[in-house]
Amino acid sequence: MNFIIAVFTQTFRNLFQTWSAQLLTLITITLSVLIFAFFYLIYTNVQHAGQQLDDDLRLVIYLDEEPAEEMQEEYRKKIVKFDKVERIEFVSSKEAYGRFAAQLEEDRDVLEDMPRDFLPPSIEVYPVRSLDTLTKIKRFSDYLVSLPGVLKVQYGREWVERFYTFVKLLRIIVFLSGSLLILTTTFMVANTIRLTLLSRKDELELLRLVGASTHYIRLPFFLEGALQGFIGSAAGMAALFLLFNWIKLRFAVSSIFQLFEFTFFPFPVVIAIIVISSLLCAGGSFSSTRKFLQL
Amino acid sequence: MNSQSNNSRYMVDLVKVSKIYLPDIQALTDVSLSVNRGEILFLIGKSGAGKSTLLRLLSRMDKQTKGVVEVDGHDLSKIAGGKLQRLRRNIGFAFQDFKLLPDKTVAQNIAVAMEVSYTRSSVIRMRTKKLLHHLGLADKYNTPACELSRGEQQRVSIARAVANNPGLILADEPTGNLDRETTQLVMDLFRKYNERGATLVIATHDESIYRDTDHRIIELREGRIVNGHPAPEPDHAFADRMDEEQGSPEEDDLWMSDQ
Repeated sequence: MNFIIAVFTQTFRNLFQTWSAQLLTLITITLSVLIFAFFYLIYTNVQHAGQQLDDDLRLVIYLDEEPAEEMQEEYRKKIVKFDKVERIEFVSSKEAYGRFAAQLEEDRDVLEDMPRDFLPPSIEVYPVRSLDTLTKIKRFSDYLVSLPGVLKVQYGREWVERFYTFVKLLRIIVFLSGSLLILTTTFMVANTIRLTLLSRKDELELLRLVGASTHYIRLPFFLEGALQGFIGSAAGMAALFLLFNWIKLRFAVSSIFQLFEFTFFPFPVVIAIIVISSLLCAGGSFSSTRKFLQL
Repeated sequence: MNSQSNNSRYMVDLVKVSKIYLPDIQALTDVSLSVNRGEILFLIGKSGAGKSTLLRLLSRMDKQTKGVVEVDGHDLSKIAGGKLQRLRRNIGFAFQDFKLLPDKTVAQNIAVAMEVSYTRSSVIRMRTKKLLHHLGLADKYNTPACELSRGEQQRVSIARAVANNPGLILADEPTGNLDRETTQLVMDLFRKYNERGATLVIATHDESIYRDTDHRIIELREGRIVNGHPAPEPDHAFADRMDEEQGSPEEDDLWMSDQ
């Protein structure tokens, strides 16, 4: 019997003999992965929604006087120095007047007595549409207001701040559920393996006495942990997929679902979550056997 | 035999070995003893004389407090890891307390010793059946070890000790729970393995198994050798015979054959 067959035989024998403890661990891993992946899915979709946002993210910088050509270049440099932007537009007083008049449509005659340059010139900054930009927008605004010749900076403050708070909350939840996932998987698996090791203390002693190699004793436990991680996380992801489809079907008519396109994780992300969970569980098992067997 | 033997003169060589169990139990004192390859040695003495301790030192279950213990040319205080594991695969130990796994079947208990050497499962099955047949346990193949009588458990422990064709067999009171007839079966089995080249160290106080023997007998009392002869000069003809036998597998007898 070669080494690999021997190790796999041992692994499945262990799993079979301690199936009740294994089942509990599997359920815990499945739930941890489900909780983490659920919040992570919301997070990625919100991030995606953030990218779909349009001009609401525009920052308007009002200036006290029309900037000359070289001054415009100076502003451009300072803005780009802070962060990447999609585009920067300079709006002169006259252009602003034209836009305002166009907005007033039939009522544009109210502007007749007003001078053509009564509106301040401005710079419109369109940041790159990403969540990072969104979270930095307040700082960006504070920076812009400190530039020389700037009267005021305006952006969809209320909306952006609410969105920002929501995203911040989501980040915390994802972080916490991620930590929970790491703790539960490694701890639960390490504990299950420890219980298995304790229940098989005599067998392990005997194996050492008859000359079993370190790998022969240890690998089955390592594989057992990895297998628990794999099956548990695969089940968790499958449960999330079913839940996602059910929610999508159930709330298909809801306005929020029509506003944004909600998608499930791409395949590589699913694989990454399963692989990471398997590795965490294998790690838990590894540390447990190392401590217990002192190999 | 299972693994290549070292070129050492003796299979077992102890020089001034002492063992003290904490706090201050002197189990062995200045024991010097050599066992030739292919020899059968009986260790006799009352309970507590140090027989089991000596066997435990030979399998590195315990370490000596003083002195040198060499098995198959390896100094056991210096050996570790893979080397120790390989050496242990070449030592079969029939423990006094059997060390059977109660929830496993008789066959699984015997298989453990062969599985760690990655023996093919068909070979394991075949050897297990033959051993059980010889020891009168043919019908116990699938019986959990916990359902066996002490005498049966003892025989399973002996079967496991020899299953891997070890070069050194250590037997601690191997006939302690057996009747005369079964004792004879066990001694026959040991003799067969010895004829094939295995060295045997048998710790016993069952006089019936060594009364009429030609083999060396060493008596231990309170951890010291009080009666015994030094090892005879190594039998080079024996070693040559072993080499020849290893070179001609068709001469394998019932116990070693995997057919």
